[in-house]
Amino acid sequence: MALVVGINVAVSLRLLTTNSPTTLPGFDKLYPLHWLGTGFIFISGVALLLAYPAKALTNPVFYLKFASLVTALTIAFKIQKRLQRDSSNIKHSPSTKSLAACALLLWIVTIFTGRFLAYTNSVLLASRFY
Amino acid sequence: MIDFLGGFSQFTGIYGFMNSMWGWPIIESLHFIGLCLLLGTVGVFDLRMLGLAKQIPYRYLHKLVPFGVAGYLINVATGIMFLTSAPDQYVYNPAFQTKMLFMLLAGINMLSFYGFCNQHVQNAGIAPLPKRIKLVAGISLIAWSAIIVCGRLITYFRPPYHWCLWCY
Repeated sequence: MALVVGINVAVSLRLLTTNSPTTLPGFDKLYPLHWLGTGFIFISGVALLLAYPAKALTNPVFYLKFASLVTALTIAFKIQKRLQRDSSNIKHSPSTKSLAACALLLWIVTIFTGRFLAYTNSVLLASRFY
Repeated sequence: MIDFLGGFSQFTGIYGFMNSMWGWPIIESLHFIGLCLLLGTVGVFDLRMLGLAKQIPYRYLHKLVPFGVAGYLINVATGIMFLTSAPDQYVYNPAFQTKMLFMLLAGINMLSFYGFCNQHVQNAGIAPLPKRIKLVAGISLIAWSAIIVCGRLITYFRPPYHWCLWCY
């Protein structure tokens, strides 16, 4: 998780801290590692969900985390495509900067909701229902 | 030492906040955000020095290091809040002790980077770096990864239930 968020933080901060159209060569090359980390998140996430399905699925915070995670990953994909299209001279349009800012905000929401999952569950085992 | 840390927490109001309904998870979340800032800047810079994404000039990523320092300061502040709120669960905890050792290693490694390698890296453009600098980057990456793992393990080694050689 820290690897995935970390790479997004690096790219977003780089996009947000430069005011003029500038070069971002090679930043798209960080994304294979990003998607590898995403694979680990997927595997560990599914394992945790399978271990305690009722704990997660009965908690609204889980859905908020899931939604923010999927949206943040979609934005990461969009930023990657923009970097690949013109990585040597990406225009720092307001939309690209907005995407970077949204990505940072969504990762913060994902981290907070992820941590709060452990403190907000009201059901631990599905056996409670039968 | 335990009394001192506990007293500090009580005196500053940290203990009260950490034991409020959402105190602990809020500080845990901030701790993780600090970690992501650190890994996203210092960690990615380390990976670049090791040869990943060869087109990125080193100085582009080095410009982000101040954000990593900010992340580190967030982690020190939030870490002190954890430590002083439940000092016996940390001071006698082998995972925490190992984490501190790796933090010491990361600190010494950072000093060696700024002492002997930074100037070379700043002037290198995108050229490959010598092995000694790659070694420093590798040690940094290993140290921060170990810090993350040890931090995660703290909660699974709760004294006095877990025995360790140096817990007495």
